[in-house]
Amino acid sequence: MKKNRKKLFSMLVFTSLMGIMTVACSSNTTNTASSGSASPAAGGTTAPSASAGAATTYPMKTDKSLTYWGELPGNLTGVKAAHADIPFFQDWQKKTGVPLKFTAPPTNQTTQTLNVMLASGELPDMIEYNWLGDFPGGPEKAIKDGYILKLNDAIDKYAPNLKKYLKEHPEIDKQVKTDNGSYYAFPFIRGDDYLRVYQGPIIRKDWLDDLGLPVPETIDDWYTTLKAFKEKKGATAALSVVSVPRPFNELTNGAFAGAFGVTRDFYIDNGTIKFGPAEKGYKDFLATFHKWYEEGLIDKNFATADGKALDANIASGATGVTVNNAGGGIGKWQPLITAKDPKATLIGAPYPVLKKGDIAMYSQKDPANAPGGSVAITAKSKNVEVAAKLLDYGYSDDGRMFFNFGTEGVSYKNENGYPKYTDLVMKNPDKLAPAQALSLYIRGNYNGPFVQDKRYVEQYLAMQTQRDAVSTWSKTDVDKHKLPPITATPEESTELAKIMTDLNTLVDEMTLKIILGTEPVDSFDKYIEKFKSVKLDRAIEIKKASLDRYNKR
Amino acid sequence: MRKGTDATFTARFKRDFVLNKYLYLMMVPVLAYYVTFHYAPMYGAIIAFKEYAPMKGILGSDWVGLDNFKAFFGSYYFWRILKNTVLISLYSLCFEFPAPIILAILINELTNKRFQRFVQTVTYMPYFISLVVICGMIKDFTNSGGVINTLFTYFGANDTAMLQKPELFRSIYILSEIWQKIGWESIIYLAALMSIDQEQYEAARIDGASRWKQIWHITLPGILPTISIMFILRVGNLLNVGWEKIILLYNPSTYDTADVISSFVYRKGLLEFGWSYSSAVGLFNSVINLLLLIAANRLSRKMSENSLW
Amino acid sequence: MKNSYSDKVFVGIIHAVLLALVIITLYPMIYVTFASISDAAQLITYKGFLYKPLGFSVEAYKSVFHNPAILKGYRNTLFILVFGVTTNLIVTALGAYVLSRRNVMWNKVFIFMVVLTMFFSGGLIPLYLVVKQVGLIDSLWATILPFTVNTFNLIIMRTAFMTVPESLEESAKIDGANHFTILFRIIIPLSMPVIAVMILYYAVEKWNGWFYASIFIKERELYPLQLTLREILIANNTDAMSSGANAADQFQIGETIKYATIMVASVPILVLYPFVQKYFVKGVMIGAVKG
Repeated sequence: MKKNRKKLFSMLVFTSLMGIMTVACSSNTTNTASSGSASPAAGGTTAPSASAGAATTYPMKTDKSLTYWGELPGNLTGVKAAHADIPFFQDWQKKTGVPLKFTAPPTNQTTQTLNVMLASGELPDMIEYNWLGDFPGGPEKAIKDGYILKLNDAIDKYAPNLKKYLKEHPEIDKQVKTDNGSYYAFPFIRGDDYLRVYQGPIIRKDWLDDLGLPVPETIDDWYTTLKAFKEKKGATAALSVVSVPRPFNELTNGAFAGAFGVTRDFYIDNGTIKFGPAEKGYKDFLATFHKWYEEGLIDKNFATADGKALDANIASGATGVTVNNAGGGIGKWQPLITAKDPKATLIGAPYPVLKKGDIAMYSQKDPANAPGGSVAITAKSKNVEVAAKLLDYGYSDDGRMFFNFGTEGVSYKNENGYPKYTDLVMKNPDKLAPAQALSLYIRGNYNGPFVQDKRYVEQYLAMQTQRDAVSTWSKTDVDKHKLPPITATPEESTELAKIMTDLNTLVDEMTLKIILGTEPVDSFDKYIEKFKSVKLDRAIEIKKASLDRYNKR
Repeated sequence: MRKGTDATFTARFKRDFVLNKYLYLMMVPVLAYYVTFHYAPMYGAIIAFKEYAPMKGILGSDWVGLDNFKAFFGSYYFWRILKNTVLISLYSLCFEFPAPIILAILINELTNKRFQRFVQTVTYMPYFISLVVICGMIKDFTNSGGVINTLFTYFGANDTAMLQKPELFRSIYILSEIWQKIGWESIIYLAALMSIDQEQYEAARIDGASRWKQIWHITLPGILPTISIMFILRVGNLLNVGWEKIILLYNPSTYDTADVISSFVYRKGLLEFGWSYSSAVGLFNSVINLLLLIAANRLSRKMSENSLW
Repeated sequence: MKNSYSDKVFVGIIHAVLLALVIITLYPMIYVTFASISDAAQLITYKGFLYKPLGFSVEAYKSVFHNPAILKGYRNTLFILVFGVTTNLIVTALGAYVLSRRNVMWNKVFIFMVVLTMFFSGGLIPLYLVVKQVGLIDSLWATILPFTVNTFNLIIMRTAFMTVPESLEESAKIDGANHFTILFRIIIPLSMPVIAVMILYYAVEKWNGWFYASIFIKERELYPLQLTLREILIANNTDAMSSGANAADQFQIGETIKYATIMVASVPILVLYPFVQKYFVKGVMIGAVKG
């Protein structure tokens, strides 16, 4: 049945790529990072000018009603159908004194709907969107082409709270601006390093205990452990990971490969930008994994494993080691395995190293400024002042408490200065999961125009094992090696995308074929040649140019 | 050589109009539809030649000529994805195209009405099960340790993760296409079978022809117009191997045979929002497909006098 | 009339082949049905054939129907089905009739014009702008009118109309019938099986549609069923930040919700087919010609 496939072709490309991007943005990460070197010297950063606007008192007295376009919180699909029905948004309007009219695109159709809206010219006052990641050409282009407002003036005059925060945090200030120094949206900021780490190796602690083994640290430790899991615990897929959309998806964050000094991405090594898969360390990594695969320590269906397969493997006891998230991983699987075996425990293990005592050179760490959830003011808006003041609320002290914890007495109680979530959200009487109940009253658990507070996630990760995992995974040298969130110019980014599609395909094929044994380890050298022919060097050049511009911001 | 008087265009035009004016009247809603919703928006196809910027709209975006096409043809993998797309489509044409026809004929041969209805209803169900679930099942079955492997090991074969083997991909893809679509696609042929004159069968039976001969000489020719048109339309979709199923089943170890044009463009789309690029690729596909359709149409016209035009 | 041995073997083989086919095509439906009423935790750990439900739980269905948007979704989709398929049929039949007539000067042009649209399109944005200009945004008709004729269906119908013997038309014309009479009294009744298939095709197309609704309709009250179901499916299947005590239940249920959603989405339309089958009646009228 070949109906009008041709038309759907382009459409479907973007529909689902949006779907994937939305999921990808909330859990896994791409190549963005925290600040480079740790030196706090603010020299060279251009913070907003010193003359602060007067502080706004909330609620404001205004007779203007503003329009706001943004996705409904994903957690509330099926719970509430509109922003107007959600207590948080109702309270937001009350607390700031600004009535709002909301429009929400259908779930996962954000980019399509946005493009259509832009084309039709009917723009609201504020648009909540991932301008950095999901807009062709990036935020600078959105400003240049007259869609959204360059906010430097507005922030200077009407957003003292945000201005103050950025002044106090120059590394974050760099992240929320474009290379040209323009502010383009009110950003979502993770207020603490603790909030930026959530992924790493996970292992069955009870198995380790049964076998009298310590938590593995070096690659050799891991080999011994995996073998023991296979031989003594009957783990048919001792190490199992998700390979959708890319083989060993989390490899981009450096798990296991980091022990060999590389990751599957661009990274900084002593001031130079390198591409992991082109370095010798990657060959060693592939050789090791190939050996493990041959010996049956890795899931035989490695190449096709998706989330569902991994869930099944862990729940059935076929797998004892994986790389995943504390929240979505440990949180999801722990009850499943406990149901089968009350002693079963999953914990976070440190990122593997080569020699005992080494520190892992790379790990997952999201940048402080996460691009989703940022709110821009449209260029044609007639209510810039009110909008800016409204959005500034999230960065004030009151706003911070409200966005993260909600209303005192309703969603949280003050216990010795610590805002503790009430049972209304954590043990919701209507049987809503904490994620959902929280989203009804706060915004702390998804991106938005405010600074996220660490105390939210401390309570959200209900299990001690999860919190410990985050601490374990934070102990790496990733800050020294990870690229900050650099951006390419529109011309560069077209060129880069072309190179990367070919390059990534090559890398993925090389990775899989060598690990599976379809090609010998030495074919690695052939691939390096191919990298050259698809212009890897040019890609590195572009990255370097972007990095230089970033550092000058 | 025209007999008589009406050689000029205007004359023919007038005569045709007088003769067929009610037909043209009937055609008005149809034409209105196509003009409004297909031809009016068609200027958008030039997006393939532009660097699309949503803000500027299609007409305002910069003209880049053949850049998008060059990017596509110059891709390191261009020949591979083209080859894979064509091969999968050809295999599909060879194996998946006839399957529903055969099914329709077999169903038509049944005399027990209840069994006939039952077969029809059941076989068309998998079409409605979402592709994600179907591919989930395929993965489950073909995985190392899955049911198909268990079956094969009884016959002495090795247990292999079948979706990791490029040489097996096409077979898995085509066989599962048949599995999912054979029932649904047979419906149109069943309908066509209904219009075959029953008397012909009577006559043949009296002449002593076997069931097989009846099928060959009555049934098949009877539905030949339908088969021809379906075939032409199918050829006109040769380059349209859809990305959804490919993406769900492939992985880098099978890219050699599984990566097609649409899946490649999809991956590119993840890195950059190339509306223009994917539009250019789509345009390339369309042009080739159209040429193929015209060729198939001509072929069909010569061979069986059934054609689109 | 001999019922030859080879005929019997032939029939036997047919039955065997069809039976085997039925078994393997029935499986996906069985799987989905059982999975939708299974206990979520057991379903996640299970691998292999599912020949009975694992445990029993209607939690998934409760979750799906708990959503008030579902009922509205059914209502909207029903509207789209009834008005949509009717519009589809009438206009497509008119087009198929005209294009199947011989000696019409412009037919070749029309056909080419129509076929061309299967290959070239302007894309989403221009279509949106047109729909907006026509004033259909935020109306259910936005999912009907821009899709009035499916070219593929048009061609199929035309082919079917072309197989009606000319002699019937001739005698009708002699009796003074005009085109409308011919179309409605002769052509259509003789092509009922194909018309039935067209109803099925258009109905399924309308039933499954969600994409254009998501672009043209902003008012959530007007969301068709599939769009709502899709949102539920996505919401329950993203890994985003699920953790904590009750979160695991949330995630587990996501698995069975996937199947319950498929059931809710496909069972109503599956039921349509048996009704359509009634029209698959072998050519009775053709005999009338000879008489």
